Amino acid sequence: MPYTAAPAAAPVRLPTREALLRRRRGWIFGLTGDEFVKFVFQGNAAISVVVLSLITFTIFRDAVDFLPQNRENLRIYRLAGLELVDLLRQQVDDHKALSRYLGAIRQSEYARLTGRLQLAPTEATRRLATFDVFAERFTETDIAQEALLGDMTELASGLKERQKIAADLREAKQNYLAAARTADPARATTLRRQAEAIVVEEIDFAREIQPLLGRRADVAAGNARLLAALSPIAASTPRLDDSVLQQRLEKFQRLAVAYIVGVPLTEKKMAGWDQSRPVTWLESFNAFAFGRDWVTASFWQDWYGILPLFTGTLLIAVLALILAIPLGVAAAIYVNQVATPVEQRLIKPGIEFISAIPSVVLGFFGIAVLGETLRRLSQLPALDWVPGFPISERLNASTAACLLALISIPTIFSLAEDALNNVPRSFKEASLALGATRLQTVLRIIVPAALSGITAAILLGFGRVIGETMVVLLCAGNRIEIPNLAAGLGVVFEPVHTMTGIIAQELGEVVRNTIHYRALFMVGVVLFLLSLLINWLAQKIVRRYRLAPA
Amino acid sequence: MNPANSAALRARSTKARWMEWGVFGLLRVATYFVLACAAVVFLDIGIKGGAVVFRRHAPFINIPFLTEAPETLNVFEWEGRKRTMGDREFRTFRAQHAAELKGVQVEAYVYSAGGIFPNIVGTILLVLGSIGLALVLGVLSAIYLSEYAVDGPFIRFVRLSILNLAGVPSIVYGLFGFGFFVILLGWNVSLLAGWFTLAFMVLPVVITASEEALRSVPGGYREGSLALGATKLQAILTNVLPYALPGILTSSVLAIARVAGETAPIMFTTAFVVRDELPWQVKQWTDFFFQGVMALPYHIYVVASKIPQNQYTHDVQYGTAFVFLFTVAAIALTSVVLRTRLRKKYRW
Repeated sequence: MPYTAAPAAAPVRLPTREALLRRRRGWIFGLTGDEFVKFVFQGNAAISVVVLSLITFTIFRDAVDFLPQNRENLRIYRLAGLELVDLLRQQVDDHKALSRYLGAIRQSEYARLTGRLQLAPTEATRRLATFDVFAERFTETDIAQEALLGDMTELASGLKERQKIAADLREAKQNYLAAARTADPARATTLRRQAEAIVVEEIDFAREIQPLLGRRADVAAGNARLLAALSPIAASTPRLDDSVLQQRLEKFQRLAVAYIVGVPLTEKKMAGWDQSRPVTWLESFNAFAFGRDWVTASFWQDWYGILPLFTGTLLIAVLALILAIPLGVAAAIYVNQVATPVEQRLIKPGIEFISAIPSVVLGFFGIAVLGETLRRLSQLPALDWVPGFPISERLNASTAACLLALISIPTIFSLAEDALNNVPRSFKEASLALGATRLQTVLRIIVPAALSGITAAILLGFGRVIGETMVVLLCAGNRIEIPNLAAGLGVVFEPVHTMTGIIAQELGEVVRNTIHYRALFMVGVVLFLLSLLINWLAQKIVRRYRLAPA
Repeated sequence: MNPANSAALRARSTKARWMEWGVFGLLRVATYFVLACAAVVFLDIGIKGGAVVFRRHAPFINIPFLTEAPETLNVFEWEGRKRTMGDREFRTFRAQHAAELKGVQVEAYVYSAGGIFPNIVGTILLVLGSIGLALVLGVLSAIYLSEYAVDGPFIRFVRLSILNLAGVPSIVYGLFGFGFFVILLGWNVSLLAGWFTLAFMVLPVVITASEEALRSVPGGYREGSLALGATKLQAILTNVLPYALPGILTSSVLAIARVAGETAPIMFTTAFVVRDELPWQVKQWTDFFFQGVMALPYHIYVVASKIPQNQYTHDVQYGTAFVFLFTVAAIALTSVVLRTRLRKKYRW
């Protein structure tokens, strides 16, 4: 639109044409009305950018302090000697695990004797007598070390407790002083006096640790006795009649040998342990990213390792996708290629309607119906061959995965159906014209042509499953432990905890700005980044393999 | 199937036909299996929950369940049989029979008596507020994207943000709402914090749907208006928005279903496990925005996870799930129906 400047001499009336074409300048901030409106709209369009940045800002802001706090957490862990004690604890725990393993073997053997062989309980116990003596002798070898561990645990936690009290007092003192700075003079003096009244113990860790270090000699002596006692016992391992149990007993022997080899190594590690070694940033980060424990509010030491949660999420997501991909993609192919128009009109909204079921209702359904049904099913004798059956816990990864599959099917279905729909008609016609059957056309032409879209659909379904909260919170069993993959396929019937679940479960109860609180935000950051990554991958796949316009 | 095609098929070897029949059969089974699974969920909750919410005799609806607040249920042995009583009733009963009740074992189940009225009210308030916010922000944003935007870095960035926002898990929105509105802005656990959290969560849905609706209005409408001398804003207000409005509203119904159905974002921003006052019982009108409310989805979570499953708690669990599921389903169904009718009505 041509803009003509107004004539300098004002009194002349403008010609009508000019008056109409002339822009009225400067009625709001020097903008014309239209420009202003445009800016309002534009500002609004930026809202999504703003929201995304706000989310990023907020969760990173609260998460970023986790690293220094965790570093401090680990520093105390080392200074107070908890780390040293945990080295011995590992050894004692290994011994306990072996004892438990023996106990499990005994239980199976007892069940075999009273069950299959139909012996009376007393007779069964008599037959197990040699085994019991052996197991008892094995367990007894570690009693001294366990007592020593208890002793050392007390020393270390006492030191840590003192440190904690000192830290709390120091904080209180600082709060008083900070308040004094802003308060009126009279009150400030009282506050300062109160602050001075607080005596903060300065703990000299290097000195305080000495008693604990002194126990290392006892540990070494104890280990020598332990090894001396173990070797004759290991040699006298009894034999069992049942071949399976005998195999397990042989496995026990191998594990025992590994344990015996490990004892001197533990000792060496304890001897080489250095209290003054600084905790690095990397250690602090690794304790989160590769930590195998998530332990909170423990009297001993809190750990914030994401691995058990991450693997739990992954296990559930993979299982859910194994169920959802065949069903979702099959339904998409069916509706797009095979179904009659009437079916199409009914099934498509039908499946999309599933996404309207609120996830909390599905979670409730899992608790009230599905969990129990699955467990009943697993107790059927006919299904004994399935690994992991019968299920011990009603709520486990598989319960959650079944429901998550149902949740992700609509996502996979509608996106995959869109992808199939976008395959040019000419592809299908050309294939049919060349004499291919409908099946060949579908499987060899249409599905491959839509494959990128289907992959993107699966990825977005994956994102949906990972981000889902209520179903896993209610149905996954919430046991914080890395799923035991050694159990084979039965692992899917173990209760697990998830990243989304832990946030939902613990955020309501944590104290603000504590390390636990930050750790939950760190988990949130991981989830957020994961969702961005999945989104980005899906877009990339779609763009990379987009069909050339026909 | 087109005739030439099926003729060709008939001529082919039976093996190929059997294969095709088999594979397509499998696909069909998979499809109907999915639908059957969904039907099982609806039927289970529909039948068991329907029995709680509906009554065989007039007025056919369990009115107390829909109009009373949740109460603790007391179960005890009385004159040889089990009696169940809500908390208020039990207190007067205990006052009358203090002597006889001594030594009688009373089992208490929280939230299992009374109804879910405050939860329904809370959910309605949450939905209204957040949808209002989301619609204003979303529609204005969509108008820019469809009417003004010229492809460039800014627009590409905006679109990328929308796409990514849509993929962010709802619990992360909850975390964000908690960290930002509840703590940083100091709104505490409040209606306002929940509104914004939920509104931001559905923003991508609203923007995408509104933009689609705006774009489907033919360009001629705009040009006609501009040619008659209207400004761009006038053209949008008179010749684009009115025609896009049904589409925008229809899609926003879908957003309502999403907002009403989510639990994770409101867990830490709005929801109270229990609150005695109803939302309008506030001292000042400003308090209205800064109060937490009870909400249906959170109530389901609480009654599903915090109290045991038995015959006494069954009613509140299934009743709440029924009311919630079928309300959300009805909203979603409205959206589907409206959309199909709309597509038939407006064909340009």
